[in-house]
Amino acid sequence: MDQIAAVLLDFPPPGGLADDVQYHAAAHTHSQKVERLMVLPEFREHALQLLDHIHPADHTISHLGLLMAARNVLPQADLLTKITIFLSTFDRRQIRYTGKAFSVVLGWLSSGALFPASVAVNLITTALLRLDPTGSILTSHHVALVQLAYTTDTIEPALPLLEKNIVFYPGAKKIYETRPRCDMELPPAAYVTSEYGMTSPLSSNDVLQYDLLRGLCFIQRRSWRQACEALERVITYPTKDAFSCSKIMVEAHNKWILVGLLHNGKTPTVPATTAAGPQKAYATLGKPYHSIGRAFEQNTAEVLKAEFERLGPQFWGEENNHSLMLLVLQHYQRWQVMNLRHVYTKISLEQVRACTQSAETAAPLATVAEMEALVRQMIDEGMLRGVVERRADGGGPAHLTFVSPDAELSEAAFAHKMLGTARRLRALQPLIKATNERLATSRDYVRFLANQQKKEKEMAGRDYDVSFVNQVEDEDEDLMTGVMMGF
Amino acid sequence: MSHHLLAFFTIMDNQGGIAVTDPPKFDLDLYIQNYKGRTRFDRLFLIARSSVPLCIDALKVAIAEAKRGADTQRYREAVECLRIAAPSEPEAVFDQAWLSNQEAANRIETKRLLTELKGYKNNLIKESIRMGNEDLGKHLESIGDLNAAAEAFSKMRPDVSTSKQFIDVGRHLVRVSVQRCEWAMVSAHLSKMGGSQSQEEEFILQPYIKIAHGIALLGQEKYHEAALSFLAADSAASSSNYNELASANDVAIYGGLLALASMDRSHLQQQVLENPKFRTFLELEPHIRRAIAQFVSGRYSACIAILESYRPDYLLDIYLQKHIQTIYAQIRRKCIVQYMIPFSCVSLDTMNKAFGRPGQPIEDELADMIQSGILQARINTIDKLVTTIGTNPRVQMQEAALKSAEDYERQALDRLRRMGISAADLELKGQKKMGGHPLHGQSELAMEETLG
Repeated sequence: MDQIAAVLLDFPPPGGLADDVQYHAAAHTHSQKVERLMVLPEFREHALQLLDHIHPADHTISHLGLLMAARNVLPQADLLTKITIFLSTFDRRQIRYTGKAFSVVLGWLSSGALFPASVAVNLITTALLRLDPTGSILTSHHVALVQLAYTTDTIEPALPLLEKNIVFYPGAKKIYETRPRCDMELPPAAYVTSEYGMTSPLSSNDVLQYDLLRGLCFIQRRSWRQACEALERVITYPTKDAFSCSKIMVEAHNKWILVGLLHNGKTPTVPATTAAGPQKAYATLGKPYHSIGRAFEQNTAEVLKAEFERLGPQFWGEENNHSLMLLVLQHYQRWQVMNLRHVYTKISLEQVRACTQSAETAAPLATVAEMEALVRQMIDEGMLRGVVERRADGGGPAHLTFVSPDAELSEAAFAHKMLGTARRLRALQPLIKATNERLATSRDYVRFLANQQKKEKEMAGRDYDVSFVNQVEDEDEDLMTGVMMGF
Repeated sequence: MSHHLLAFFTIMDNQGGIAVTDPPKFDLDLYIQNYKGRTRFDRLFLIARSSVPLCIDALKVAIAEAKRGADTQRYREAVECLRIAAPSEPEAVFDQAWLSNQEAANRIETKRLLTELKGYKNNLIKESIRMGNEDLGKHLESIGDLNAAAEAFSKMRPDVSTSKQFIDVGRHLVRVSVQRCEWAMVSAHLSKMGGSQSQEEEFILQPYIKIAHGIALLGQEKYHEAALSFLAADSAASSSNYNELASANDVAIYGGLLALASMDRSHLQQQVLENPKFRTFLELEPHIRRAIAQFVSGRYSACIAILESYRPDYLLDIYLQKHIQTIYAQIRRKCIVQYMIPFSCVSLDTMNKAFGRPGQPIEDELADMIQSGILQARINTIDKLVTTIGTNPRVQMQEAALKSAEDYERQALDRLRRMGISAADLELKGQKKMGGHPLHGQSELAMEETLG
């Protein structure tokens, strides 16, 4: 046992290591040693005792090895505590050398058997953000996490991770990285790979599903803007050819139209970056949704209600959009009230009642009190900027005063906002650098660049040809008109 | 209104026609004298079907007009109308003898012209073939077979030899197309007519082309272009050049109204009131001139009042009838917009006094205008005020700057993501490679199932 303990405590050495290269070599050997130890029966026997002496933050690799070995012998409560402590304190550098074991532990959590969902979601989120603080690379754990969060409706603890912008994907292509894995400046794509066991390989389906589920999570939270953005990522997913389209994309598109109606009060337009195949599919398969969109933009609710009822609750149920559709119906009148702010500064609630319609009944609300309740609710939710007022003398009917939002910003406030954007853009720099490096080492890209340069050279020669052909054509036309005139 | 007349207008109403109950300001006989050719009957018949006070008179004149010509179908239609509107009138009885005589004569004439043309074609004499086609076309037009007439006229084109003939072909085709309301064709034929003519021909042709083009553009609802075309017509040439389409008075009305609907004040002043060519036309219709002058000098309600008093007249015009509603609405909206310009805040009462119509509060109209973006203002229905909102360039600049910064950020992220996907070789592609990935065709099938 002492022998085992000696090996486990061997790394990292108390004095630390001189540079990254040495650290890399030592960490690599150590993780291999631990792996070899793990198969020994003695190791498993002593794991329980050793676990208390090997601190997870100092000896992450060793501790994780012990944890794996002790999984089946440790009492449940202790195991849970140990896992929790480990996941929230592990050393960010060492963890890069023990990806496989790390993945296994995360797998225990996302299977939902060990912890209650809320704790599991919380822990996975913390662990993944500790592994990659930029949150810019997708792993199979992300996909499992979002699934767990959505199905168990524990979205809130996962939000810090879900709100990150993913730009890297673990891929089949090898990345040429000369720096050692322990370099803290490395982009996450260099150490979070399937090769190191940090994630299992992903397919495009997984990527699509991740963003779709993210969208669904945001819908659940009524965060329309974020939902729109997440679904848009699915819709604009790049394709290799001009006809492929996934069913997930169509599903996302349909939901995206409904969410767009809720968010902006009008049908969103498909982004220009959408590939040709999906665009065609959206146009044909999204027809019922497009007609809902058109109906939503009309001045009376009748068409919307009729369109909703024509397709029937069964259709919406099968499409998994029934509750979303009910929200759209409910929001129709709200957007009508919102649009009044473009026309009126003050308007009596009676007038609001008369000129807006509920899409649920296709008729105006029955009483002013109901209208007032709706308007107050909109104001409380922050959707509408305005106040419900009565005349100063206390008499007369209540009226709604819109607060104009387009007041001029002060120079300082404006500068502050611009600065914020600039800061966010600057934060992208490491990502851009990483992408750039990745591209520079990609054979395809280099070939493409070479071709491009060659083409440019050729174009210089061809320009003459084109102008010459044009000239000939012009002359041709002139000849023809000459003949016509002679007639 | 007699019950016969009522029955007649009920039918017209069901057919989507417009019934004008107010008497127009013109005299029917004097009005129709301004025109020649087939447009006379068309105009009379339109007045008969639209104007309640003039219905019977116009029908009688129209029947007489039809009897002078060879188009038996027109005669039938007119008499049919009169039989419903006023069955006791002597003209309401079919002149069967004239009808059968005329129809027989038409048939013989068509046959004769066709055989003649065939003969010319066999002899291969270009000039005769052209004349043969022209005669046939004219005859077919006179008996109302416009389709065949257009065909015959267009067959003249290969055999024209002088520029006069060239112009004649164009005129024939334009006239027929106008009667068939094929506005795009009118423009096409007109554009072929321009070209090498002598000074004198050009002088005669210019107003014809401009006016016909104006009518075609009006038919296509391109009001501003139409106005410019009418305004460019030269008034020096006699109206006999173009009265198969419109009279000089019409040119003043069309040009004036359309300019009023589509131009701003300074342009109206420069291009209409100070336009020496158009002035002669305007002198024929002084009230149009007055309405424009009122608009330019800012007396909008006076302008609207003048136009409203002439509304029945314009509703009886063959080309204007369909558009008068839109044109008037545009002018009215422009008046309201112009009226608001000098103010930052106007009370609804004042607006009602200036533009109000009985039973129609201005508020709804203003709300419509604001909604469609014509008027930049907000209504305060509690204090009964309309406030205009000036555009604040600073706010616009700030919004634009923030938006472009945001867009830039989003695009940067999106591109990084795309490169990431591509680097990981994760783009969506054919089924074989991805294994079990639902493809376009498959998903469509699945969707159809759920839809069914």
